[in-house]
Amino acid sequence: MKHESIEINSGLLIVLTLAVISIGGLVEIVPLFHIEETVEEVDGVRPYTPLELRGRDIYVKEGCYTCHSQMIRPFRDEQLRYGHYSLAAESQYDHPFQWGSKRTGPDLARVGGKYSNEWQTQHLVDPQSLVPESIMPGYPWLLENELDYSQIEDRMVALKRVGVPYSQSQEEYDANVEQFGADMADKLHVGNATEVLESQAGAQNWDGDPNRITEMDALVAYLQMLGTMVDFSKYEDGHFNQFR
Amino acid sequence: MIGDIFAWLGDMENSKPLALILFFSTFVGIILYVYTGKKRKQRLESYKDIPFMDDDELDPTHEKKQQVKKDESNGK
Amino acid sequence: MSTTTASVATEQYNYGIVKKFAIMAMIWGVLGMLAGVYIASELAWPFLNFNIAEITFGRLRPVHTTLVIFGFGGSALFATSYYIVQRTCQARLWGGKLLPELTFWGWQLALVLGVITYMAGYTQGREYAEFVWPIDLLITVVWVIYFAVYAMTLVKRSQPHIYVANWFFMAFILATALLHIFNNLQVPVAWNSLESYALFAGVQDAMTQWWYGHNAVGFFLTAAFLGMMYYFVPKQAGRPIYSYRLSIVHFWALSFLYMWVGAHHLHWTALPDWVSTLAATFSILLLLPSWGGMINGIMTLSGAWEKLRTDPIMLFLITALAFYGMSTFEGPMMSLKSVNALSHYTDWTVGHVHSGALGWVAMITIGSFYHLIPRLWGTTLYSTKLVFVHFWLATIGVVLYIVALWVAGIGQGLMLRAFDQYGNLAYTFIETVSFLHIPYVVRAIGGAFFLSGMLLMSYNIYMTISGARQPASDEGRDAVAAAAR
Repeated sequence: MKHESIEINSGLLIVLTLAVISIGGLVEIVPLFHIEETVEEVDGVRPYTPLELRGRDIYVKEGCYTCHSQMIRPFRDEQLRYGHYSLAAESQYDHPFQWGSKRTGPDLARVGGKYSNEWQTQHLVDPQSLVPESIMPGYPWLLENELDYSQIEDRMVALKRVGVPYSQSQEEYDANVEQFGADMADKLHVGNATEVLESQAGAQNWDGDPNRITEMDALVAYLQMLGTMVDFSKYEDGHFNQFR
Repeated sequence: MIGDIFAWLGDMENSKPLALILFFSTFVGIILYVYTGKKRKQRLESYKDIPFMDDDELDPTHEKKQQVKKDESNGK
Repeated sequence: MSTTTASVATEQYNYGIVKKFAIMAMIWGVLGMLAGVYIASELAWPFLNFNIAEITFGRLRPVHTTLVIFGFGGSALFATSYYIVQRTCQARLWGGKLLPELTFWGWQLALVLGVITYMAGYTQGREYAEFVWPIDLLITVVWVIYFAVYAMTLVKRSQPHIYVANWFFMAFILATALLHIFNNLQVPVAWNSLESYALFAGVQDAMTQWWYGHNAVGFFLTAAFLGMMYYFVPKQAGRPIYSYRLSIVHFWALSFLYMWVGAHHLHWTALPDWVSTLAATFSILLLLPSWGGMINGIMTLSGAWEKLRTDPIMLFLITALAFYGMSTFEGPMMSLKSVNALSHYTDWTVGHVHSGALGWVAMITIGSFYHLIPRLWGTTLYSTKLVFVHFWLATIGVVLYIVALWVAGIGQGLMLRAFDQYGNLAYTFIETVSFLHIPYVVRAIGGAFFLSGMLLMSYNIYMTISGARQPASDEGRDAVAAAAR
């Protein structure tokens, strides 16, 4: 076959080009869907509660991922600065993933529990009031905007369709009780969503005003759980190296 | 014998060297094809003139002509 | 009014659609780069966020990337590909008047809607694919029409051979379709909601996104612009491409290799090691076809180097190839795991992207446009001197930008991994942020240089086009004569 046969036949050119550009993606992406080899099994990793889920939506909406990563790499300096390196399992319910690509600000993969709710709220409203050199924008509107959770059930159902184990039937609920415990299973049940969201927003004084549910409540609730799901003290040092 | 070869080919562990051989020989094949043969060289290199075959610039003096035409039309 | 030649060409070829896309490319280019300079300034002087949600960095950044990649780059590719496919096939664009027009209005609509939704806070949160799902559907329709128009024009060509530039454009159209579809698999929250959740999660999602992200660079910002290069460099130089055989090898190698390298954006993450090692290996291999393309372009000028002294358009085209060579060397180097450990997450990556985006993509487009626009309107350029000025503004801008971010990225990378004598971290994160202030200021200035060049170009092109419409005026004719000298 001459190369000219391709140069004079647009159909052949299209087919061959398509074949050549498909190989790389197929070889690298398809095997990753053999989940058991890609994502290690770890106790404690669970889907987001309704309030955390809305907080995560706001995190994506404000483009936080353009300046903050959620992926700690296995280097000494990063582990000293941020904590244990991130596991694949820890982002298995992240649609979309929030690993980020640029750290204009620090990594947030394990920011949960590092600062108080008051600190987080104040820092989001006016970062420079706490960290004078910071170049982060202020987000005062988060404290003013009431949280819209009218579609919370739809959101959970959409996520359920892509594989997050929120429960709708009794059977699914029972499976969640077994996997995450009864307390958590209640929070992951779509039917309870509104009630669960409101009670979680009221249970802790996330943004300093217990009377309203604001976007700040949701975002702070999300930030405060980041990286806290896996209890690393339960595992031996180096246990996770075998999965790398 | 042939069975052994098929067994080797069927083993996923051997996919890497196999792919390497496959891709590399394709690459070498393309290089050999493209860069050997005097006739082929002439033929392939002749296609690089295609951008210069479009009608209104076939003639290298085209730009000048265009300028002249323009002046003419302006003169009218 | 216009010259006879131009009107003959207008009948034979559909130039109207090329003109429209070319003008929109300029407008989006200026707006997109303006957004870029603004967000760069926000990093240097954060008060510029003004506590206004719509203009915070997080929401404006996708406005910048979308407008420069899809607005400026995309419209420029539509314009040049429609021009090149007609000229090298010697056939009028397929699809009558309607189909090419649909690609134009559909594409512009997607961009406008994109900007509005981003600023209002609607995003998929996928870098370079932030469009919400209804806009994704619109883009899919536009792209299918684009493919049909392009492929059918190839089919009905009167030139027996398909020139190499068209292979690159075809690869770009096919790859972009593939990438766009698979990276935008989403489940909407509801049919009347703009929000949606990605089909994949975590590792698989990251891999899909960066397979998309890097190949957007590979096929949208490289292969397609190589198509531009393969036509406009020979045309402007007045001599054929250096080696047609090299272009064959380089085309197939580039198309094959690019698709493997995306995972080098995920070194040292929770992605399995074998994928990122494979990606790094192919990234190194990719240097060869990349440089093949660069050599092919630059050597086209071999024996006519003196053109670089007198022809600023040639200067743009060749400098673009030089930046292409530089950034395709820097890229494989940064994909080495040891280098990546330092460079990833820092401004070095941002600088690398811009040496490609400003140095290669924008400069090859600018050079091509200075060649293309006078021919579309059947006239000569208003001012060659201004092209020289533009060249220096652009080059100084890119150099300031890249150097500032080398300092920022490498400096911050080294500070973050420094330990004191007791084995504690030597710097807090915020100390590295303070260090970045001066490089950020310089970067914003570099961007402003580049933007001012674009404004100058817009003026030059505006004068060229309006000069073509009134060739009788003395002023215009003088300018034409001056440019021709």
